[in-house]
Amino acid sequence: MLRDGVQEQNRTGGSLAEGSRLMCLDVNPERLMVSYQAGDFAAARALIELISPQLHRFFIVQTRSRVDADDLLQETWLRIHKVRHTYRRGEPVLPWFYAIARHVRIDHYRRVLRTAAREQRLEEVPRQAAQPSRESDHTDELALILAPLPESQREVLEMLKVEGMSLEEVARATSSSVGSVKQKVHRAYENLRKRMSATGLRRGQSGVLP
Amino acid sequence: MNDALEKAGHVPHQVEPALLDRISNSIRPSLRPVHPLPPTWVLASGLVLICAALGLAGAARAGFYGIERMVLSERVLIFSTLGILAWIAAREFVSEWIPGSRRRFTPSMLLTILSAALLTVFAILFRDYHTNHFVSVGVVCLFTGLLHAIPAGLLGWLVLRKGLAVDSVSAGVVGGALAGLAGVAMLELHCPNFEALHVLFWHTAVVPASAALGGAVGLALRKRSRFSS
Repeated sequence: MLRDGVQEQNRTGGSLAEGSRLMCLDVNPERLMVSYQAGDFAAARALIELISPQLHRFFIVQTRSRVDADDLLQETWLRIHKVRHTYRRGEPVLPWFYAIARHVRIDHYRRVLRTAAREQRLEEVPRQAAQPSRESDHTDELALILAPLPESQREVLEMLKVEGMSLEEVARATSSSVGSVKQKVHRAYENLRKRMSATGLRRGQSGVLP
Repeated sequence: MNDALEKAGHVPHQVEPALLDRISNSIRPSLRPVHPLPPTWVLASGLVLICAALGLAGAARAGFYGIERMVLSERVLIFSTLGILAWIAAREFVSEWIPGSRRRFTPSMLLTILSAALLTVFAILFRDYHTNHFVSVGVVCLFTGLLHAIPAGLLGWLVLRKGLAVDSVSAGVVGGALAGLAGVAMLELHCPNFEALHVLFWHTAVVPASAALGGAVGLALRKRSRFSS
């Protein structure tokens, strides 16, 4: 999680050199963002390394495609770069990033719908282009857990429980109120619980599970 | 279930370094210092001033017959309510243009609050339920109000054009509602018709009509950007 800084990323991840370089700079994303606005490339690079894994996971959970997630991440950073002046010092930076990421994803989703309506698929394109790793296994597992949920509930649950954002931050990122976020989380849990108990029942009946 | 989700959050997710390099390299050539947008209160004050200026300019052109007929308490109650509502709507409109801003109201909730507040104030102040040429006179007021709302909406967009509206329809509805208040302000300054039903229906209708217009513009812009991408 971003809150714990890059240390946690290094504890279990492999990018030790990258992480220590970031720690030398500054791991406070708000301060990095202000430096990025001032035209500091090192801060921009640090921010890209710090935020991208979270945004990438967010896209994978939403699209269940690593290739789409890569494209969306690039597009999001281009958009972030274009509107970086809209971040104001003192405001929480995570909701700002996620609001833009959501905007890019929704645009992408609408474009895909439009293309799908006009084009005929000739062959199945393999969805998983990158080499699967232990981390991507976890992300795929997460995507699988959240897959049955409607998009709005999935994104809220992911931001809140996986990324560790507060209710207020999720509300800001999704342009909604705290009450509405609470309601979506409640419904998401209900949905998952129903689905899990139904799956358990079916497995029990078929003799797979005792 | 909770544990599974939180565990997933603790496992670091890796992005290919080549992808991060590509992203960094793509932004490097255009990396220049930028000035952040002014604080919300500055932008909101600008929007409220635009609405007030347009309302005043319209009434100055058409005549201040409405405010001249009002007693002091009516003037104070109507224009202070309009001021407060314009401030609330302006803050929400600014929030629509700044990603990750706090939203106090959804667009539909804001529209309900604005309409309900205007209806309440008008219902308290105007008690003459006799009507004369309800539709023909009312339509003129509605169009006059909308005619002043449109430039207010356009000027509001000019003030905030450097922002990013993450949902153009919501931004259109909220901006339209704010612009509609400029139209109502103009009508209150100008319109000498104090029949309760006229004011309650046709003057208040400027706000939802203008919000609908703003929402339609937002929808058209969204469709245009979708087809141009």
